[in-house]
Amino acid sequence: MRRVSVEKIESGMVLAKEVRGRSGNVLLSKGVALNPFIGRRLKNWEIVFVHVEGEEESSEEVSAVRVSPEEVKAGLEKKFSGTLHDAIMKQIFAAVYQHRIQNAGAATKAST
Amino acid sequence: MRDSQSIQKAIEGVSNLPTLPVVIEKITRLLQNPQTSAEEVGKAITTDQAIAAKVLKLVNSAFYGFPGKIGTITHAIVILGFSTVKNIVLTASIFDFFQRRGNMHPDFDMEKFWIHSIACGAASQAIAKYVGYAEKEECFVGGLIHDVGKIVTCQILPTEFSEIVTTVKQKNLLYYQCEKDVLGLTHQEIGAILAQRWNLPRGLQNIVRYHHQPGLDKEFYQATSIVHCADVLVRALDWGWGGDSKIPLLDHNVWRDLGISDISLGGLLEDIDSEADKATAMMRLM
Repeated sequence: MRRVSVEKIESGMVLAKEVRGRSGNVLLSKGVALNPFIGRRLKNWEIVFVHVEGEEESSEEVSAVRVSPEEVKAGLEKKFSGTLHDAIMKQIFAAVYQHRIQNAGAATKAST
Repeated sequence: MRDSQSIQKAIEGVSNLPTLPVVIEKITRLLQNPQTSAEEVGKAITTDQAIAAKVLKLVNSAFYGFPGKIGTITHAIVILGFSTVKNIVLTASIFDFFQRRGNMHPDFDMEKFWIHSIACGAASQAIAKYVGYAEKEECFVGGLIHDVGKIVTCQILPTEFSEIVTTVKQKNLLYYQCEKDVLGLTHQEIGAILAQRWNLPRGLQNIVRYHHQPGLDKEFYQATSIVHCADVLVRALDWGWGGDSKIPLLDHNVWRDLGISDISLGGLLEDIDSEADKATAMMRLM
């Protein structure tokens, strides 16, 4: 089994491990044949990499991308720019930030 | 800038406005009659094989909770009921409609826009469940089509559409703000013309027309409020892309009336993520 970035998915690759969405739902099951089109869809679902069948190739592909709390915050601030004077938007910002951080923690735990 | 009235007339007069399959009208009519049987509705749906196949795929997806168990449309109606199946047929037709669009403009990512729409549908359904609103499936369809006016703008007014998406990107504006400057008309009004042409239920027409100003909807205020809120939350959660990279303000009265408290917001976000996951996975099936 080896890990490849969704951007490097090629036709003929076969999933060696199921792909799960943000909340743990199975999006694609093990054994599915991949192609670049599916890769683009996975990217839209914010999936960063998948496990495919075959030998490990190079270490550069194994660059697990974990977003840090600072990055999450910066991304949200950009998105919420111009709205944070508003009490409700502030409340949503805080809740989404919390939600993101917790989920990132859960995902890290699950993969170790 | 063309004046908004002439644009409205232009849109209303267009004969090639996108259409919904005739089967929708047929079953809407059938369902108004209390004597209609499940077989009759099933037969009406199966006259359109493409839609029937999509409906079966949908009912057998994890989103509707019967994965791989329902073999016929009639069986689906018996298990899920008329109203759910009607909403599934609508969903299947709208999926079909979106998929036929293809790429509209280099600065308008159709795939991500579609994800925004589906996630907004799923979030609307999750919020409806959360606040105890009965018509949660209608809320799903409402979320799915709330931004349909943007697609119509592209099709009917390609030059203006191009100006809007380019300006939105360059100046990092809300699509909604920008179209008012360019068109003097919003995707809400444009979408509502289509929703009316499609003879969609009044509640859905209102969602399309008022999702940015739910306070103006006197008839279906709650459903429209739910979609308004869902639109903001899915953008905050980064589900797809609604045509711009910003978030519109959430209406304070809506927030108060839906009664979403600080404590429960986290749980609601979990539900939205989970429903949106299932709904976007469903899209992959189609």
